[in-house]
Amino acid sequence: MSVKESLNTLETKALFELAEYDATRAEKTGYSNYSYWRSTFRVFLKNKVAVLALITVTLLLTFTAVQPFLPGQRDPNVINISEETGRQAMNIPPNDEFIFGTNSIGQDLWARIWAGTRTSLLIGLTVATWNAILGIVIGAIWGYVRAAERVITEIYNVMDNIPNTIIMTLLAYMLRPSLSTMIIAMCATGWLSIARFVRTQVVIIRDREYNLASRCLGTPASRIIGRNVLPYLVSVIMLRFALAVPGAIGTEVFLTYIGLGLPLTLPSLGNLINQGRQLMSVPILRYQLIYPAVVLSMITISFYIMGNAFSDAADPRNHV
Amino acid sequence: MSVYATPTQPDRPRLGVRRKTDSLLSYTIRKIGQSLVTVFIVITVVFLLMRLLPMEGYIGEGYDKLDPEQREAILRSMGVLDPWYIQLKNFYIDLARGDLGTSITFRRNVPVAEIIGPKIPYSFKFGMGAIALSLTCGLCMGVFQAREKDRLFDRLGTGYIVFINAVPAAVYYLFLQLYITSATGLPILFAPEDPKSWILPTISMSLGGIAGYAMWIRRFMVDELNKDYIKLAKAKGMSSTGIMFKHVLRNAFVPMAQYLPTTLLMTIAGSIYIESLYSIPGMGGLLVDAISRQDNPLVQALVLIYATIGIVGLFLGDILMAIIDPRIKLVKGGGAR
Amino acid sequence: MVKRLALFVTMIALIFGAIGPVVPARAAAPITVVLDGKVLPTDVAPIIRNGRTMVPFRAIFEALGAEVDYDPATNTVFGFKGPSFVILNPGKTTAWVSGRYSKLDSGPVIVNGRTLVPLRFVAESLGEKVEWIEANNSVLITTTPDVPLPAATALDEYKMVYSGEFVSLNYLTTNNANDMVASANTIDALVGYDNYGVMRPSLAKYWKTSADGRTYTFTLREGVKWVDYTGKEYAEVVAQDFVDSAKYLLTKANASSHSKPLYSAIKGAKDFYDGKTTNFSTVGVKALDKYTVQYTLVEPVPYFMSMLTYVCFYPVNGQFLAQQGSKFGTDNKTVLYNGPYILKTYEPQNKREFVKNEKYWDKDNVHIEKLSYKYNKEASTLAPELFFRGEISAADIPINVLDAYMNDPSKRNQIRSGLPGTYNYWYAFQFDPKFEAEYEPDNWKKAAASLNFRKAFFHGFDRVAAMLTYDPYNPEGQIINTLTPPNFATADGKDYTKLAPLAKFSNGDSFDPALAVQYKNKAMAELKDKVTFPVKVKMPYRTDLTDWTNRAVVVEQQLEKLLGKDFIDIIPVGYPATNFLGSVRRVYNYAFLETNWGPDYADPQTYTDPVAPGDPYKYTPIELVDDGTYKKLYDAAIAEVVDLSKRYELLAKAEAYLIENAYVIPYRASGGGYVASKLDPFTTPFAPYGSASLSFKYRTLLSKSRSAQEHDRAYEQWKKDRAAALKKAGQ
Repeated sequence: MSVKESLNTLETKALFELAEYDATRAEKTGYSNYSYWRSTFRVFLKNKVAVLALITVTLLLTFTAVQPFLPGQRDPNVINISEETGRQAMNIPPNDEFIFGTNSIGQDLWARIWAGTRTSLLIGLTVATWNAILGIVIGAIWGYVRAAERVITEIYNVMDNIPNTIIMTLLAYMLRPSLSTMIIAMCATGWLSIARFVRTQVVIIRDREYNLASRCLGTPASRIIGRNVLPYLVSVIMLRFALAVPGAIGTEVFLTYIGLGLPLTLPSLGNLINQGRQLMSVPILRYQLIYPAVVLSMITISFYIMGNAFSDAADPRNHV
Repeated sequence: MSVYATPTQPDRPRLGVRRKTDSLLSYTIRKIGQSLVTVFIVITVVFLLMRLLPMEGYIGEGYDKLDPEQREAILRSMGVLDPWYIQLKNFYIDLARGDLGTSITFRRNVPVAEIIGPKIPYSFKFGMGAIALSLTCGLCMGVFQAREKDRLFDRLGTGYIVFINAVPAAVYYLFLQLYITSATGLPILFAPEDPKSWILPTISMSLGGIAGYAMWIRRFMVDELNKDYIKLAKAKGMSSTGIMFKHVLRNAFVPMAQYLPTTLLMTIAGSIYIESLYSIPGMGGLLVDAISRQDNPLVQALVLIYATIGIVGLFLGDILMAIIDPRIKLVKGGGAR
Repeated sequence: MVKRLALFVTMIALIFGAIGPVVPARAAAPITVVLDGKVLPTDVAPIIRNGRTMVPFRAIFEALGAEVDYDPATNTVFGFKGPSFVILNPGKTTAWVSGRYSKLDSGPVIVNGRTLVPLRFVAESLGEKVEWIEANNSVLITTTPDVPLPAATALDEYKMVYSGEFVSLNYLTTNNANDMVASANTIDALVGYDNYGVMRPSLAKYWKTSADGRTYTFTLREGVKWVDYTGKEYAEVVAQDFVDSAKYLLTKANASSHSKPLYSAIKGAKDFYDGKTTNFSTVGVKALDKYTVQYTLVEPVPYFMSMLTYVCFYPVNGQFLAQQGSKFGTDNKTVLYNGPYILKTYEPQNKREFVKNEKYWDKDNVHIEKLSYKYNKEASTLAPELFFRGEISAADIPINVLDAYMNDPSKRNQIRSGLPGTYNYWYAFQFDPKFEAEYEPDNWKKAAASLNFRKAFFHGFDRVAAMLTYDPYNPEGQIINTLTPPNFATADGKDYTKLAPLAKFSNGDSFDPALAVQYKNKAMAELKDKVTFPVKVKMPYRTDLTDWTNRAVVVEQQLEKLLGKDFIDIIPVGYPATNFLGSVRRVYNYAFLETNWGPDYADPQTYTDPVAPGDPYKYTPIELVDDGTYKKLYDAAIAEVVDLSKRYELLAKAEAYLIENAYVIPYRASGGGYVASKLDPFTTPFAPYGSASLSFKYRTLLSKSRSAQEHDRAYEQWKKDRAAALKKAGQ
């Protein structure tokens, strides 16, 4: 067929057909099955290391929760008496009976480590949640509500400059060293850095054109913050939250180091590590440092990797 | 607790100053005024908090063997028996004269300035050394990690970063001290006159910083490389090295500038772990000691210094940032809200 | 000089006097004095007066190796030897022997211008044995060899790491334990202790006590210097220095921690301290002349001499003190030194260096030239490692790392056990509980008042199990069964804890499970309707101390297991270090508590101070449950100030009563542990109280740390030597 012939046929046939208007199908063109959270999770799940971390954390959390109910578990505070000597079973290296060995007074390190993990995770999650919530709320108000800026800035500057040690010392003196004292002390000032971080982020995007437009349309501040600003910050906030958990555990270790930690009758990774630290130079006793340090590292690394992966995943630019 | 705050984003809004026709001078003056108020409040709060601690703490050991009248004489000589408002008034009068007071329980009767003075240089030198080391190593590592993203170097680097963040510093510092010294023959204890004894503390101190800077610069560069101006630069045919140095690194320095002065000034606070382990007579741990001994004048002086540094550091950071990035104005144009 | 010249003149007179005829007391054969088998030549033949052999003083003192002095103005004869001295006056039948008043059968006589002294008295006063051999009219003196003081070794620098910095070098005010290291090494007191615990004259050359035991007069050694931190001479140490120091301590505004011993012992001191008088001459501390200082006491104190090694009796140069004002003792440049060492370098939280004081009066007994201290906050963790790398001279080996070192053959033989300390630990019951209602204080009060209930604890408490938290290798080593630890005081050659009333406790062990259960059953029957069982027992502990926390758990589980949870419910309650004693012990906020005490003077009374009637130190008011017997026993004991043997017997009785009634449960002595150290511990000045044992005078360094066996051998040898030295010194 020559070119000309073809052209002719084209002329005779209609190039387009008129389609009937269909309201349902019209809707569909505007539809995409994109969901922010689903995409976030999809991207997150693609990261194998992160999934491993997630599984680790989930397993750890589950295990610390069910461990006391498993058969054959010992009380972390009960001193085991050696049958041979009738005395405390001290510093027994890991064996069949004591999986992680015993400490210097014959307490079961296995039980203590899981009890300690429970305590530390409890501290870490409570403190991180509290700090994230308070930090986000205050940070958002601080960054967005002009009237509050001066006051919050002043409060921030003051609180940020009061040494935490003073607050810890006072609280320990007034309330006695305990789990709640530790959590209160860490919550008292821990939200500051998150608030400042959120505030900075809010300020960066508050005056973007779309927010300006919203304001012009009379959208209330709370809606702008909730709908326009914070979702934009999900990825960075998640990262901060994820890092706040190991951060809180690290703070606990530090507070134990300067003598403001939890009593030994309440095992935590902080005081287990601090006790183990004193045995660092003794090869045969090093297991008392290594086990809690390994558990601590597993938690920190998992949260760290998860936080980073989630932060990546939460960034819509990566949702391709 | 680390000196190395990991920089994240420029903290522009801190400078929220509204008037359009604001000169840098009047901005500075107002800023100083505000800072003075902040420092005043901080000191007063700390002052009052310290007064909540028990009287017994001022006497410490040997309390049992003193008669009540002796205890009273001792407390009186320390000036802690006066009502708090008198003490506060005296404190401010002395401060106005430039007198930070004399230590009461840390080194009895020694002027606080004489206690702090000799310690600052040690912490400062180590801090500076550590910052220099962590900046150079950290930035290089971060840049190469970003370039080698998802390849071996990046993975190794990430492994290092994760390790440093995951293992408590108290543990790996001790580890380094015990094993490196026995392996290399470096001295365990610091001696100012022995240059070899400076090496290990400085390195240990910079490990956290290296991880922090590397992590941050890597993240920054990976994010930045997705941006449109980089794509444009690539499209223009710019070499990747050129893009790195001309665009990315320069932008990366902006948020860092905000933290740099604070980080540099805060080096005088020292590192409590490192200074304790290596016997460095610096500032690390001084505040913790002073608080546990209830040496009010020393605590107040230290808080005053640290608060001032914190605030001055922020202010310098703002100025530095404005200098590096011309788009940032200390004096901001009309508020859109 | 004048004195010397006078002495010389006297000597000439004596020698010429000797030419004159001597009338022998007995026309029989002349008396020969035989010293260690050799005939002692005397220029004047010995005579006998009132049945006592008299010899020329110079001949006998010199033959016995003593330093002789003679004061022609008062005709007084002095003999000094080691820790002992003898002061005699012709014609008088009283003499002062090492500060004590002694009666003579026959005083010294002057015969033809020569002073003759009673031979037996003099020789025995200096610790030698004397026999009279009737057959050949001779006196046999057998000298017991002096127990040698430590001799110098080649090592002359002691290196150490420390974590406790000086708070103040103003020894007149500070009570910080670390600060005592400085004053013990840089300031000399009137008397000191040698490595056997024998009291030796120091700044005081000799002293006299009044017959009523209220006045002590000290004659100072001449030519002792105050020097500054460079070793440059500043002034001489004179009697006024002791007055200036007392005045400073008793001035309330100076806020000294050491005023109490002074104002409780010295006449007029309390009034001055309270501001009732501003005239210091009413206080019983006086400089009689340049070299004579006198203390007058309110009432006789049997242990006054031991108090002199305390800071409150240290001298200070008044002029320097006034000149420095509040700067005194703020660093090493603002104090003066008169002791064995000078603090040459002092850089807080960095290092300190003591160097030997070349102008020290007794520098031959200072063997270590230099003490170098390097600050490290983690000193206790690092020290063992530094020791085995050869960087420091001594280290305590923490119990928790001991195993690893013991398994290393090159290190094992350098580790030995530490010597016992002087603090005692015991468990106290609170009889007037003031704690939260949740721990049921009223119920506890009723239970604790029952002897059966307390005895169940007393016999049920397994102290060895508790000790395992402190020393798992030798848990029995430090356990004590009395409040007063052994080797603290001796009466008539018998250790205080072995005196009859205490012997049954110190020879046994309070732990007796069967007996404990018996008492439990008795208590439960007795208290059935009055007390709710299980009795809640609030047992506070300090959360910052690992071993105490561990012990709290151990004690709780051990007692509950033995006595049953139907009987007691022990509740350990953690408190922070901040104000621990203030919020627990001193406000009676406990039911059962581990507590301790350190001695203040050389008398067993010191250990009963914390449980003295009236509860002066706020431990627990025993009189609430006691029928008054204890107070009677106690008062009777402390009222006895003359006869030491009787006093100790009475004190032991009072202490035994406390233990018998289970008002206290003695637990352990401080110290012990394990050390690797090049310091020879047996050259350390030995005194179970005060800061004397912190001094480096007499101490020597070994070329390597002793092994456990070597240490034990040396310890046995030292114990023997000590007994001999104490015997010889008559102390």
